Formats: sequence, structure tokens, C-alpha cells
Amino acid sequence: MLVNDPQAAHYKIDPSRINLAREFRAAPKGPHSDELQRVLHRMRWSAPGGRYVLVALEPGRRWMLARIPPTRGTPIETFPNRVFTDLAEAEWHVFRLRWRELTGDDLPDDLA
Amino acid sequence: MTDTNAVLGYATPLIVSPGEEIAFRLSSAVLGRAEARIVRVRCADPDPAGPGIRVAAPGSAIDGTVPLRHQPIHPGSFGIVADPQGLDGLASLSVGVFLWPTTPGSGEQTILSRWSGAAGWRFGLDGQGRLCFEVADGARRWIVTASRPLLEREWVFVGAVLDGASATLTLIQRSLDPQAGRDRSETITASGPARLPDTPSAPLLLAATSTGRDSPPTDRHLDGKLDRPRLHAVALDEAPLRALVEAVVPAPGDPDLLAAWDFSRGIPTDVAEDVGPRRQHATLHQLPARAMTGANWDGRTQSWREAPWLYGAIHFHADDMADCGWTPDLTLTIPTVWRSGYYSLELTAEHRGERVESHVPFFIRPARDGHREPLAVVASTATYLAYANSALRLDQVHAEAMLEGLIVLSRDDVYLQAHRELGLSTYDTHADGSGWCTSTAARPILNMRPRGNVFNYGADSLLLDWLETEGIGFDVVTDEDIHRQGLSALAPYRCVITASHPEYVSKEMLDAFDAYQRGGGRHMYLGGNGFYWRIAFHPTRPHTIEIRRGAVGLRTWEGEPGEGCLAFTGEPSGLWRANGRAPQRLVGVGFDAQVFDRSGWYHRLPDSFDPRVAFIFEGVGAEERIGDFGLRGGGAAGIEVDRADATLGSPPALMLLATCDRLGYGGIPAPEELRTLHRGFTGDQNARVRADMTFFPTAKGGAVFTTGSIAWVSALPHNGGANNVARITGNVLRRFLDPAPFKGFEDRA
Ligand SMILES: [Fe+2]
Repeated sequence: MLVNDPQAAHYKIDPSRINLAREFRAAPKGPHSDELQRVLHRMRWSAPGGRYVLVALEPGRRWMLARIPPTRGTPIETFPNRVFTDLAEAEWHVFRLRWRELTGDDLPDDLA
Repeated sequence: MTDTNAVLGYATPLIVSPGEEIAFRLSSAVLGRAEARIVRVRCADPDPAGPGIRVAAPGSAIDGTVPLRHQPIHPGSFGIVADPQGLDGLASLSVGVFLWPTTPGSGEQTILSRWSGAAGWRFGLDGQGRLCFEVADGARRWIVTASRPLLEREWVFVGAVLDGASATLTLIQRSLDPQAGRDRSETITASGPARLPDTPSAPLLLAATSTGRDSPPTDRHLDGKLDRPRLHAVALDEAPLRALVEAVVPAPGDPDLLAAWDFSRGIPTDVAEDVGPRRQHATLHQLPARAMTGANWDGRTQSWREAPWLYGAIHFHADDMADCGWTPDLTLTIPTVWRSGYYSLELTAEHRGERVESHVPFFIRPARDGHREPLAVVASTATYLAYANSALRLDQVHAEAMLEGLIVLSRDDVYLQAHRELGLSTYDTHADGSGWCTSTAARPILNMRPRGNVFNYGADSLLLDWLETEGIGFDVVTDEDIHRQGLSALAPYRCVITASHPEYVSKEMLDAFDAYQRGGGRHMYLGGNGFYWRIAFHPTRPHTIEIRRGAVGLRTWEGEPGEGCLAFTGEPSGLWRANGRAPQRLVGVGFDAQVFDRSGWYHRLPDSFDPRVAFIFEGVGAEERIGDFGLRGGGAAGIEVDRADATLGSPPALMLLATCDRLGYGGIPAPEELRTLHRGFTGDQNARVRADMTFFPTAKGGAVFTTGSIAWVSALPHNGGANNVARITGNVLRRFLDPAPFKGFEDRA
């Protein structure tokens, strides 16, 4: 019985490649460069427990940041102070959180 | 924000005839009452970029306030002998079985038990996954426990013996593969009672323990397989106990043999047969998985029909859920004048300052002798069941990578995360990691109703809404009726539409579509990844499907070797492509790729300029982009897409009208599309990653039209319906409703 391995994504994100963050910020839905595709795969492939997700407060209009808990049957962890009215802003927020988790570096506030 | 689950329910039957009675079984843990009304569903998708929720209330006898109560759900499969014989007044007892535990250490579990109040016995696992046998007489308790936990997914022979003469309890465990670190074999004896305590009113339970209470009635459920359980009234040594378990058919005439269950008999049923002299058959609850390989399965066959004695195991799951068993709160006789269609009992209320709107879905079939529209839309109820309460986006490692962006959970997903007792879908795994093989409608289904997730039910409703807007009359026919009635369910219609994703198909359904096409029918397949998996409906239980996923196909779990045949029927499951009937053979196209980052658009191909198919493109320019818009990924070709392929069965007469063959790197081929490993397989480099729009004539003036894309119907509402996806759909539909036969395609043979 083959199962997916949460640890299988092992691409190493280079924290100096701020240009990739800039590329994502400009076009979260892509198309993306080969390197940014690798960064995103690294960020998106994981055990579900601890994964950031959104909860639709109003379908198509408002979303709240949330996180999937490590065990089934326990409630979703929600962040009621993090509400987005634009999916691109939500993607960017989570991208920054994951960049820090995976590289140890904060992305600069101003990427212009 | 709308609360969609403060009250939940399910309808029995799910599919009802005019004049027949339907019951609604409801539960709320927080509301004392709600306002109820029956609605006919026109658009179930709340997306503000589309038509939004649209329902119509015909007015019914049950519209009004309904009092609510809490009805609990008790998951976990087990077998029960309600009134066991020969078990009282015994001095000794032996239990033996082959065990394949899947979550040892997750909590106490039961192999076999008979318990009542403070007295009885239980053979099972302790909280650490160690084999244990406990006996209690109300005053004293004796227990013997193995020294080490059992290994997950390794067969072990286990025995428990109470010897009254020596007042001992003995545990036996022998690993069937004892080498390379797998050996857990041991025999342990501890002091025990001088006789088996009598518990005359207690049931005998396989894979659970009776609590003696109403709620929950059972606990300490087993995760794992049992093969050939035996119960004997004598304190047996290991060798005779092992021999008794090894024997598929125990020697006849042993008066001390209390039970010898042979799970390889009656596999499609809910009865576990006792082949011993007392015939103490157990009734199975919550659909444990049958036709599972036993400890003796050796790979000589993949089919339990060929060698049933190798399939003597049942896989029990502590989270199995097939029937909530709720009591009805409302019943209604469906008025004979109501049209067929997607319906719902809409329940509204206020809770904590929020509006509650929860739907209990059902389907009305056309009256047998009533008026029929010339068009039928197929409600893909087999697929809806396959996806029922999918937790894929909550549980699966690949979910966000596949969906190419942050996962957006609905209020129902949030509920499901905390309420796994609803039972999950055939996309999900049980808590022990094995796949859900079955799905039923005797439980609330969160994603098959208005405001549910947009996949399947919601997407198909966009087609219903478009038909209503266009003023085109239609009947609704369900997969299950096609399965049970065959061609008779389709034959009354000039044209039949299968919508966004008719993925799950029984042989009976496939035969019905095939016969419909060969009889001159017109089939519009407006979806993607259709006619893909081979399923069965349960022979007697309503609204219950089974699927086995093997090592082939786009599979969110992988079944164990040898377990690819359906318990309900004995048929092989898996892909229709691997069963000699690839979708290309029926509808011209078959699944080739997923694309979740962005959907694409079609461009016309030379066949589209053939005068015989000019009707399809009336009003569509030669260079026009077809479907460069839509609610799913911004295009009409996306999510899952299909292509024509003569080697897989696309017919010679097929006309390749248009294609979307530039899906970009987000177009990922299905696993069965790759024979060998190489780079260059994604849509930016691989022309086989595409959606094909096709037409072909069938026998007796019939025809088939396909779009090969799940996203197609979600493009229909664009620009108020004034768009080329809607135009092409309408062009084809009008011609397909015209009885004039399709002729003059002889040169395409
Ligand atoms: Fe699917």
C-alpha cells in the first residue's frame, strides 16, 4: 500500500532569492518560473497537520486564515483577526509565513 | 456568514417517485426547531460570480416549523450474535483467530467479547497494542496481557484460553512471518477464575464490546482484519486451537465447537456465517469491508469468486459508518404533479446571531407513466456518493500541491474536520490508513446539496440553471435508476446529458448508456474524467456503492494486493480502461490529465468545418477562442480533461471538432497515461494533455457529443449566458432533440 510521504518535498529554498518572492507577489496564480514552481511545491507539500488554509466566511468574498490540526476530529484552528477580502493577499500572507518557517528569514516588508 | 450545519439530516429514500413517501431524519445538537420547506434546486452554487443560489418552493404539506432533537451517530463496524447459545455454565473457553491489526496502540480494541455490566470477557488489545484477555465476574477481574505490542499490518495467530480446572488464563500469539524483526510470538499464562462467568443476557460481539447502554451501544472497536474466528468450550492447547483456526471447514460433529465463523461465505451480505454445529451467525453492522485477503492468501488469484477460502477476512474499522439509524422527523408523500429533479428539504433558523440554512437533498424521478420531457439530465448520484463527505482537502498530503493554491475550506469542511462520525468518502482513508471502499446515503452528506462544495453537485446545478434560463424542459434521471432499470431509464429520451463529472459507473450503467447510444439515442457528455472507475451498487441496500482502487489510476489511496474485486458482486473494480471498456469506446474521449492552476480554451480543428457538423458552430467564428472564460479556472477546459485516442477505443467515425491542447505546466497527465518515465510530460510540452471536443454518429441515427472537461458547464453562466460555450451547448442540444436521424457519415467508417 503506497502512501504519500509528507517529507518527500526536499527542495532547498535559497533565502537570498528575494526575486522569487517578488515574482509570486506579482502573480500568485502564475504562470511561474521553474525556480518559483519548486519553491511553491516545497511550501505546499507537507503533512496536513499544521497546514495553513482559508475558511470561506462569504463564498467568493471573505476568507479567514486557519490551520489544520494534526489529528482528525479536533477543530480547525482559526485566526479571526486575519480576514482577507482578496485571495491574492491571503496567498501572499501565507507565502511570507512559510518563507520564514523554511528559511529562517523574514521577507522584507517592501518588495518593490 | 451562513451556518450550514447547525441542523443536519438525510432523506430515505434518497431517490423517490411521485406518489411515494419520503422520510426526513434530522438532528441538531443546538437548535430546538427550524423552519422547513421543500425546494426544487435550480442553482446550488453560492459563488457570487455565478447565478448564486436559486431554488423554487412548490409548497408542501410539511412546510412549516419542525421541532428538532439530537440524534447521535455511533461509528464503528462489528458483528453481533444477539442471543448466543452454549456460553453459560462453562468451566473453560478457547478463542482463536488470525489477526491483522492496523492501529495497535491507538486505544483498547476488541477481537471477540461477551460483556454485561461488570461481568463477562473480552479478548482484544490493550491501549498499548498488546494482546490481552480479560475476564470479570462482577466481583473480581482477571487479565493476562502480552509483553510486547503487536506489529501493524502483520498477520499473527492469536489465542485466548480460560482453563477452569487450573484456574488460569493463557494468551498465545504466533507471528506468521517471524523473521527479520517481525517475531512477536509468545505464550503467557496468568491466574484466572475457576469457571467462565455467566452473562445470560449479553450478546456476543466480534470486533467491539457491548457497553450495555443505548449511547454508545458498543465501544473498543477493532481496526484491522479478522480471519476464521473460532470459539470452543474446552481449554485447548496451542496445536489443536491452531488447527481449528487453520481449517477452513472444521471437522463436523464437535459438540464443544461453539462457533466457527467463515467470513468467505455470503460475502455480499451482512451475515457472518458460523459453519460450526450451533450455526451462530453474526449480523454485521456499519458495513465492514469483506472480500479481504485472509492470512492464507498466496497471490494465486485476485478474485474471491475463484478461491473464496483465501478471502476469509473481514476488515473492521472503528470509524466505519454506513447507517446513522436516525428516526424520521418528517414524512411527505410526494405530490404526483411534481416534476423530476434535484430537490431539498431546506431548514432555516437563527443560531448565535447567524442565519442557519441547511439542506437535506433528495431526487425525484419521473413518474412512471407520466409526461416525459424529450431531454434527460443524469444526476451523477454514484459520483456524488463516491465523493460524499470528502475530507481530501483536510487529510491528504498532496491536496494543496494538486490544487495549486491555498485550500479554501467551506463551513461544512470545518464541521467535517471535527465530526468524523459522519463517515468519509471513497477518496479518503480510514483512521487506520486503509481506503474507504463503500459509501452510503443513510447519513448526512455535506457536499451533495445547495451551498455544498462546488465540485459535482454544485457544478451540475449550473447546467440545470442554464436549461431553466433557456426554457428547455428536462427530466432528471439518477445513476442509481440507470443501474437498476438499465436501458428503460434512458430509452424514453431523445437526448441524454451526462454533466460535469460522471466518473463512477457500474457495469449495468455502462451497458445502459451503450444500449441507449446503439438504439439511436443522443448523448451529450459535457464533463471530464467520466466513465472512469468501475463500481457496484449493493444488491439490496439502497444508495450504497463500492469501489476498489488498486495500483492503477488516479488514486487517493491504494488498496492491498488481491483486494481488487468488489464484495458486493465479485466483479473486478478499478478503471474501466483496465476492464476492457475505456471511456473512449463509449463517449469518444477519456481522462488524460488534471489541471488546477488555470483552465484553457478550445480552438477549432478542420473537422469542425465539415458541413455535417456546421450546426454545432453556428454563430461561432473560425478563429474564435471557445471558452476563454468560466467559473472554474477562468476557462471551459480544465480541472480534469479527456482526449480522444483510437488505440483506446475512440471510433473511426469520430470527428475531432476542437481542442484545448495548450494547458501549460499545470496540466499533469493521469498516472495510466505514462508507460515509461521521462521528462516533458506536462501540458506545456505534451500534446496528450488536452481536452477534446468531439462528435460521432452512432447506430440508428444517434450521435454523441463531448467536451472532455469538468470546467465546461461552469462556463455556461458567463456574461449572462451570452457566450460561445452556451451557444455550442445550445446548438448541439437543439439538434440532438430533433428526431431527424443523423445520416451520411458512411465515409467516416
Ligand atoms: Fe473525480
